[in-house]
Amino acid sequence: MLNRRNMLHGMAAGVGAAFGSTLSPLNVRAAAVKTAQPRRVIFFLQNQGFDPLTAIPKGLQESVPLSGMELAEPIRALEPYKDKMHIINGLHGLHTSPSHSAFFGALGGYRGGIGVPPAGETIDHKISGLLPQTILPHLCIGMDSLPNMRSRPTLATLSATGPGQALFMHSNPNSLYEMLFGGISTGDVKRKYEAKSKVFNQVERLARLNGKTLPAGERKRYETYVNGFRDINGLRERLVDVSDHLKQFAPEYDDGYTNPEFETDWHDRLLDIGIASLKSGIANTLTIGSGRGEIFGAWQGLGVEQQGHNLGHINQPDNEIWIKIRQYNCRMLVKLMQQLESMPEDGGTMMDNTLIVYGSNNADKQHTNGANWPFILLGNCGGNIKTGEFTQMTEKRPINALYTTLLHAIGSPVDRFNMDNTTAATYDEKVGPIEELLA
Amino acid sequence: MSRTATILGLVAIIVASISNVSAESPPDFESFAEPFLEQYCLDCHDSETKEGGLSLEDLGSVDSRNAGLWKNIWEQVALQEMPPRENENQPEGIDRVKLSNWITGELEQAMKDQGGFDSHHHPTKANHLAHDVLFGEIPAGLEPPSTPARIWRVNPQEHLVRLNELINTEPAYNPSKPGLRTRGDHIPWNIQGEIKVYYALDRITGQVGGSAAYAAAITGFPPILSAIRDPGFKNYPMLYSVNGAEATQIARQAEEIIRFMAYGPLGESFQFVDKDKKIKRPAKYDGLDIRGTTESLVYKKETLRPITPVYDLMKEEGVSIEKLKAAVDYLFEALTLRQPTVKESETYLSLAQGAIADLGKEDGVMLGLVPIFLNRDALFRPELAAYGVPDKYGRVMLQDQELALAINAAFSYIVPDKNLKEAVGQGRMKTREDVKREVKRILADESIRKPRVLQFFREYFDYDTAGPVCKDTKALKRAGGGDEKGYYRNMYSMTASTDRLIELILQEDKNVLRELLTTDRVVVSTPKNPRDSPARFYGNFDKLVKNPPRPKKKEKLTAAQLGIVELPKGEAIHVRVTQVKFLGGNPNRTLTTLPADQRLGILTHPSWLVSHSDAMDNHAILRGRWVLERLLGGGIPDIPITVDAMLPDEPEETLRHRMRVTREDECWRCHQKMDPLGLPFEMYNHVGMYRTTELGEPVDTSGEIINSGDSTLDGPVTNALDLINKLANSERVTQVFVRHAFRFWMGRNETINDAPVLQNAYHAYDESGGSMKALLTSLVTSDAFLYRKVSRHGRNDNGVPVKTH
Repeated sequence: MLNRRNMLHGMAAGVGAAFGSTLSPLNVRAAAVKTAQPRRVIFFLQNQGFDPLTAIPKGLQESVPLSGMELAEPIRALEPYKDKMHIINGLHGLHTSPSHSAFFGALGGYRGGIGVPPAGETIDHKISGLLPQTILPHLCIGMDSLPNMRSRPTLATLSATGPGQALFMHSNPNSLYEMLFGGISTGDVKRKYEAKSKVFNQVERLARLNGKTLPAGERKRYETYVNGFRDINGLRERLVDVSDHLKQFAPEYDDGYTNPEFETDWHDRLLDIGIASLKSGIANTLTIGSGRGEIFGAWQGLGVEQQGHNLGHINQPDNEIWIKIRQYNCRMLVKLMQQLESMPEDGGTMMDNTLIVYGSNNADKQHTNGANWPFILLGNCGGNIKTGEFTQMTEKRPINALYTTLLHAIGSPVDRFNMDNTTAATYDEKVGPIEELLA
Repeated sequence: MSRTATILGLVAIIVASISNVSAESPPDFESFAEPFLEQYCLDCHDSETKEGGLSLEDLGSVDSRNAGLWKNIWEQVALQEMPPRENENQPEGIDRVKLSNWITGELEQAMKDQGGFDSHHHPTKANHLAHDVLFGEIPAGLEPPSTPARIWRVNPQEHLVRLNELINTEPAYNPSKPGLRTRGDHIPWNIQGEIKVYYALDRITGQVGGSAAYAAAITGFPPILSAIRDPGFKNYPMLYSVNGAEATQIARQAEEIIRFMAYGPLGESFQFVDKDKKIKRPAKYDGLDIRGTTESLVYKKETLRPITPVYDLMKEEGVSIEKLKAAVDYLFEALTLRQPTVKESETYLSLAQGAIADLGKEDGVMLGLVPIFLNRDALFRPELAAYGVPDKYGRVMLQDQELALAINAAFSYIVPDKNLKEAVGQGRMKTREDVKREVKRILADESIRKPRVLQFFREYFDYDTAGPVCKDTKALKRAGGGDEKGYYRNMYSMTASTDRLIELILQEDKNVLRELLTTDRVVVSTPKNPRDSPARFYGNFDKLVKNPPRPKKKEKLTAAQLGIVELPKGEAIHVRVTQVKFLGGNPNRTLTTLPADQRLGILTHPSWLVSHSDAMDNHAILRGRWVLERLLGGGIPDIPITVDAMLPDEPEETLRHRMRVTREDECWRCHQKMDPLGLPFEMYNHVGMYRTTELGEPVDTSGEIINSGDSTLDGPVTNALDLINKLANSERVTQVFVRHAFRFWMGRNETINDAPVLQNAYHAYDESGGSMKALLTSLVTSDAFLYRKVSRHGRNDNGVPVKTH
């Protein structure tokens, strides 16, 4: 019988076995043939837009290899990774209403806006369901000002599991740490953890019971509440099952969690947890919302005194504030790559099986119609994405075409992502992936 | 058959099929929608005429592929944008309603598996139901009003106030200073815009370090449940559930709350002294910088928090079942506002006992009581009408406990008062008369705080978002807003002042809306240094001294030296401020008056003006939209996705000039309804200061009311004061206000079936001389408030026969 408990045990056992062998030096040496395959994708969206003058090496107007080109100052930290990089310019998101932010539309490829519910599953969640299964499998983290992260430690603005089904990102690293690594304990702590699990299973049962008498029209809304407990409890069970494995990857729980001086202390720790979730194999997709998909955000830890909406009014190129923010993004990207490169996998490293998609939920700038939406891809996704290239789109293609390409790259080809033919007649000149991106 | 002949035939079909709006004979595409399109749309939108490139000739019924187009048709027809006003061939209002209902019903079905369609239920679309239909002759054959059975998630403030009740003893009502923070009030934000409930703040008598260290040392928590941030009504039941992340946070906070209820503030024994000066810290603290730590705080010895059964349980050794049960029952009632049933009490007792068995008393109680915080009714208020026999329309009146909680929630965030509880216990909570009795009693009792009423006015006027409007530093300085720190403090502080002015007008309860729109009164804080005074924002920008002399050390420039208006002395009044004194400002304010030639009512106060501005300038479109929707009952369809809704970036041009782009053909159709209503407010700059010039030229404050639906209102206006004067005396505007009150208290958009409720409410308000109490009594005793539509007919959802009381 395939019930939830059995399924979870099976999944957990699979993860444990897989990592038990991967981490063993003996097994790494024994892996004679590289068998790279897409295993994880990271989406990193900086709010307030990604200006093409920052994204593109100076003067480039046509597609060329990146070798010999110099990256713009704000992203120069990525210079050593040019051979793993693909810059794309000229995609559009005219249909996503991206002025201020397309919100769910940025990863959904559909119309977004403040308070507009997601019209469909977003690409990050879609991919998380198609990649080799992991425990979470999709983790979303969001970075903002400290007061915002404290007062709204979870927020759903970017990712969705389906129409009307928003996926929450985590912004309080303390809560997130406890959620993922609370089970790594022994003795008294373990006992408490187990007692808590028992209580929460009862809470779920009661919540479900109380939903039975609701009118049909209200059940769906109430399901969100019940499913919240199901997710909490399900996750706890799965994490407990792989706790020995997790211990090797849990970040050090230091003062930066409990006594942050700046918001960047929390940003860094959220990233650390994100990296640990990827390295430990509990997540196959990580979505990072720097600015949490909105038009606010703060980076006082970088010496940026201004915060919030005003940052979006600044012209990004050559601006000191934006150089700092973009450099900070790049340090995060480099850390992600270095950490994944340090982990052996399939005869190579984790990075070989990874793709990072860097861009903005705001196209090219805060006040934009989305006519240009630059992206940088890092990693070749198991050899399926062409790297070391700059691609200037010459045809009218929406961001949905990039997402279609990602689905091809992970081995789940489709003709279009979240765009029907009627809409495509106006917004997409071609069908299928962006060929220039595929290896 | 020619199209003309077809139309002639179809007119008869339409007339026959739209004779009334009832549940009988639901219309379909062939019998209703297609003839409607034929008669009113195809002249301009068939395959030959194709105006605007749009042909509806082969549209067909609603499906997922043409849903976007049908949604547009719904908005255009419902908002009376189409057929064009100049056409003589116009459908009757009731026909528009019927087509709207048909389209939205079909869209719900067609989009069921693709994210659903519920736009028509959203508060922003409530005006899509034509005003004249609601306030005209009531169509025959309407089903009587009711509201679907539902659960209503408690709002974030309500939840926070309930949690606060567990840990803080808020001050009792003080009739001599009714504005001060009192038990049952909402939790106000501080002058930096943060809303928090704090632990043991009332016991702190001293601390080490300055205000920053204090802020770091004290502990509190913000609202846990989420709410949308858009302007307008935020608390429809359809908008919210509780997600897993929120549940996790509630559970985490619950443990802290239970611990505090049991033990009070955590601290070393030396921190608890009668007088701050008597504190003797142990030697280990010598030379140690403890600023910002919990050890830096000094507490009174006296216990000030509520002493509850949780305290009783934990103060003695061992676990007494009676005391554990008392704690369970106490928490259950405090969180759900009702007593638990025997079964519920047993269930939560058993859970707590299990946790104690696993972890021992200390940790077991802390964990074992958490599930009560996550009980369904602690987070949702059910309006299920689960017993009672439905009438022939499937309606059941709320009764007993459920009815009492619905009435309580109409005004209050905390547990029902003794009288209301007694009414339930004595079986006097069953009839409309019972409701009327309790509503009148609650409304007459000033000591029963009514944060829901104030929240209505916040959401109706949207005056409470001035603080969060992020201003561009240079634009702020140019507008005379002063330094950023002082500016934001003033803006956050102004919300409390406007709250108080509204409460004052509510207390008078005469011509409430007109008074709010036209009062010359204002509540302001009066800091010692005129430089920090909010009076700056009520002053005249032209008279502001742009480069005041530099004050000598410890010298304060006078208001005259700064060019800041000096308002009449006025009288003392008090407002609610946060518990944290240095973050809360001063609760002492002045009630004074504003220059009659410059200001008129709340719409001319900086709190409203800045709430409807942006980082760089005024937001005439937002202001115009507010006037259109909240006063005139008009609406704007969603912006087509192809529109790049941007004004040109021309900092040296006036906003009026930059808004020329909205006069382009495709924009003006909608913008003519908003822009001329917002531009009269150009007599103020974007921080709310009055002005007569802009960029060195006389400021143009002209505007116009266009196609308002009341021809006596239509026509040019010279400035905001002229506009407000016209609107404040309008019957239509009052009726639109009543519509908004209906939405807020019913938690849903009105339908044609609610027309009698709305008309009665309007008459109650009008005939009582503009009494909000009369309006509320009418609404809360209406069928729409009292009756729930249930799916059963003598049976519950599971098919089990229902019991009757």
